[in-house]
Amino acid sequence: MGIEALTVILLGCIFIFFALGAPVGLALGGIAMGVGYFTWGDAVFNVIPTTIESTYFSFILLAIPLYIYMGQFFTKSGIGDAMFDASQMVIGKIKGSLAISVIVVCSMIGAMVGIIGAGIMTSGSIALKPMLDRGYDERLALGVIMAGGALGILIPPSIPMIMFAAATHNSIGKMFIGAMMPALLTVSLLIAYVIISCKINPKKAPILDSDTANQKRPLGEKLSVARDGFLAMLLIVVVLGSIITGIATPTESGAIGVVGAILLSIIFKRFKVKMFLNVGLQTSMLVSVAMWIIFGASVFSNFHLLMGVQSMVSDFALNLNLPPLMIIIMFQVIMLLLGFIIDEFIIVLMCAPLFTPIAVSLGYDPIWFGVLMILNILIAVQTPPYGFALFYLKGIAPQGVGMGTIYRSVLPFITVNLIVLITCMLFPQIILWLPTKIMG
Amino acid sequence: GIAANDASAAKYNWRFANLYGRGTAFGALYEQLGRDIERLSNGEIKVQVLYSGEGVGTSGLFGAVKSGLITMAASFQSMHAGEFPAGIVEIGLPGGTDDTDELYSLFHEKGWNPILQKAYGEHGLVPLEQYIQPPVYVLTKTPINSIEDFKGLKIRAPGAYGKFLRNLGASPVSLAWGEIYTSLATGVIDGAIGSNMIDHRDGNHVEVATYMYPLPLAGAQVLSMLVNQKAWNKLSDDLKTAVMEATVLHAKNQLEKSREWEAEAVAEMQEKGMKWSPEPSESDKLAWKKAGETLWDEYAAADKYSKQLIDILKKN
Amino acid sequence: MFVSLLRLYCNKVDLIVKLVGYATSILMPILAFVVSFEVFSRYFLNRPTVWAFDLSLFLFGYIAILGGALAHQKKGHITVDILYKKVSHRTRCVFDVISFSLGIFFLVLIVYVCFDKYQDAINFGTRRQSEWAPLMHHFWLMTIFSCSLFILQLARDIISNAFFLMTGEQLVMEKGLEISCTKAENNDGN
Ligand code: NA
Ligand code: NA
Repeated sequence: MGIEALTVILLGCIFIFFALGAPVGLALGGIAMGVGYFTWGDAVFNVIPTTIESTYFSFILLAIPLYIYMGQFFTKSGIGDAMFDASQMVIGKIKGSLAISVIVVCSMIGAMVGIIGAGIMTSGSIALKPMLDRGYDERLALGVIMAGGALGILIPPSIPMIMFAAATHNSIGKMFIGAMMPALLTVSLLIAYVIISCKINPKKAPILDSDTANQKRPLGEKLSVARDGFLAMLLIVVVLGSIITGIATPTESGAIGVVGAILLSIIFKRFKVKMFLNVGLQTSMLVSVAMWIIFGASVFSNFHLLMGVQSMVSDFALNLNLPPLMIIIMFQVIMLLLGFIIDEFIIVLMCAPLFTPIAVSLGYDPIWFGVLMILNILIAVQTPPYGFALFYLKGIAPQGVGMGTIYRSVLPFITVNLIVLITCMLFPQIILWLPTKIMG
Repeated sequence: GIAANDASAAKYNWRFANLYGRGTAFGALYEQLGRDIERLSNGEIKVQVLYSGEGVGTSGLFGAVKSGLITMAASFQSMHAGEFPAGIVEIGLPGGTDDTDELYSLFHEKGWNPILQKAYGEHGLVPLEQYIQPPVYVLTKTPINSIEDFKGLKIRAPGAYGKFLRNLGASPVSLAWGEIYTSLATGVIDGAIGSNMIDHRDGNHVEVATYMYPLPLAGAQVLSMLVNQKAWNKLSDDLKTAVMEATVLHAKNQLEKSREWEAEAVAEMQEKGMKWSPEPSESDKLAWKKAGETLWDEYAAADKYSKQLIDILKKN
Repeated sequence: MFVSLLRLYCNKVDLIVKLVGYATSILMPILAFVVSFEVFSRYFLNRPTVWAFDLSLFLFGYIAILGGALAHQKKGHITVDILYKKVSHRTRCVFDVISFSLGIFFLVLIVYVCFDKYQDAINFGTRRQSEWAPLMHHFWLMTIFSCSLFILQLARDIISNAFFLMTGEQLVMEKGLEISCTKAENNDGN
């Protein structure tokens, strides 16, 4: 059987089992091993142990438990509420103000984490409940978390960017700086979208009496809300600061956030043993959910790669006979399609060394191309039906939120990301201006 | 055309994994090796080359060949120190020689190969011709004017290299490769070793740390090429010879090309601002050598095959 | 008699999975502590530990793998439930039996290959490749244990679904499911 036929069969099986509502991680692993047995034999089962080792002994993925833990402490201890209460006191009169605060907080989380999983699950832990509690439209709230959390790989530090730079011999510094303007553009467009859509449909973001009441409170109470909010904000600043000042790596700083959150909850007199145990349980469940998906999906993609899917992609990409800009566009399409079956790291590992030399030989700047690739991955992982960001979001969403709701919630935000991608594709200076100015 | 389609023509289908990325210069060498095996076996062995991230993780290569998931691997022994301790001695303990003729004779004449064959054999593996890659260097943020300057520095260095640096008073740190750049930039660590100069270049480390220490941690690295024993035993003697021949060719290519690429990488890094720390004094060189020698006994005590290899090393 | 045996099995599995899952969650604060201690020791004492790196990875693996069964019991695992939500309870039971069987197939394979890895790790004294070099065998043993537990949990769900399909009655009270179903329907109404 050729790799094309095999790919069709695999995708067919995914479609069937996803439709049956099978747990995604188990289904992906089971499908790969079942199909693998008939095409390869029982030697294929040995994919499992190497994948276990590469998945669970990855220090990069360790960010996932640590940041989720921090996020859960934020929510369950009321620190997160304090932060949003304070911000609502200031800008509560603006329609969709909470969503705007959430986007700002997500950008800060994006500046801490370097992978999508940690970005979305942390943002979701911290900011989803406050929005839902205030009666925000479910889809708006979920979409904001998805789009905001995905900023984790667009705002430095970013593991996929480091991987791109290493695979193509480019400057990581330039990549980081080059992604700044697109990140700023994305954040601005996200905020603009929230404001406009709430103007059009005010029901999406109700202004609560409690927030209005907050603003009418006596000064003393206002000050205490402000103090709590300030302390909560300070914790985020401390975590960010620990990265910037070299106290901890981005992965480790999640643990610093946990310690800080425990201290804060003690200061706020909200620390209870029950809460502590509950947060641990909640976190370990979320970690398990995320990791079983990553593991099953890795078994699937490792099998697919061992069967040679990368040759199919590379043959196709290398034999494109199109005008330069069309080739770049085709590359983007290929990566979006790859987002259906593989994760952010493998897309970079596979496509960066394959596509970048071609783009450079066509006269394009590799940094520009690399940032486009990151923007593209952002979209790929949140495009239905299959995308890791979608799965993470479902994991963090309250029980009962269906995948259908998630699929619909992300569409406007994918559009925003697509606009950024196309704008940056058409106006390379958005990406290249800053690195050229700073690093020459 | 992909492997499965052409499978009918070939008698054996081999999956051959290496640690380098698709499209990289080193990757091309392994691609060449795959083609040479096909050519010298008259097309009886068909080789599918797998690059970094393509199905098997970097630290999983040893286990993957052992289990037969892949047929052949160009692995990096330090990654498998826990499964195969003797590999650390094979690759070259800190303080080892960089004389390629001497290394060649160590393996082929002085008795290392039979020991390694036996040791790998226990794991169901057959070692092919080893090949030599350029040495390991340490890059630091501040210049090392005397060996004393290593004291208290936090340096990312795994396994044996970490122990070596600890002997010099530095503090080895464990980090994921993907975090080296940011950690050097923010100062979480003061330095890092790379698996060679090319690795430092690819990791962009000189953007955030400037000084390369002139003494390498190990003179040269002897890397292994492993084949699954069951797959190997299926081959006729002629085919076995053909595969061996191809790996001998590959070893020559590696030696030539890796020197060239190492020089290129150094030049590129110097262009980006890399500087060498000052030339070490004679006493520094001696201290450097000593830091390595104490490790020999430690490693010999840990594993019986390591001991046999080190005994030979000491005799010479 | 047979039915009460089935019921006993279901209840026991639920209990064991819950106990193991809750016990596992105690590892979470330990993980956070180990990582923060490494930061403290490296930055303030200028003495990075040799053990924190591997220990934190082991803890991570234990938490993630051991938690799988309880996450399933709590209906936490991600599903693409678009069609699933639209069909009747009976049809869902059929769907579940099919997809859980695939899950068991995969988990049995994991147990099978990890047993090989475990024996191999014992025979060769396999360690991690780091300076600290802790032994690996316990990790494979934990994986075998976790996946076996996960299999028991899935088998329990297959049994209770099959029972419902055959008799039209619930084998055991499915509290969690009822709640999640009603919640789901409320959401669809929005
Ligand atoms: Na980031
Ligand atoms: Na997708």
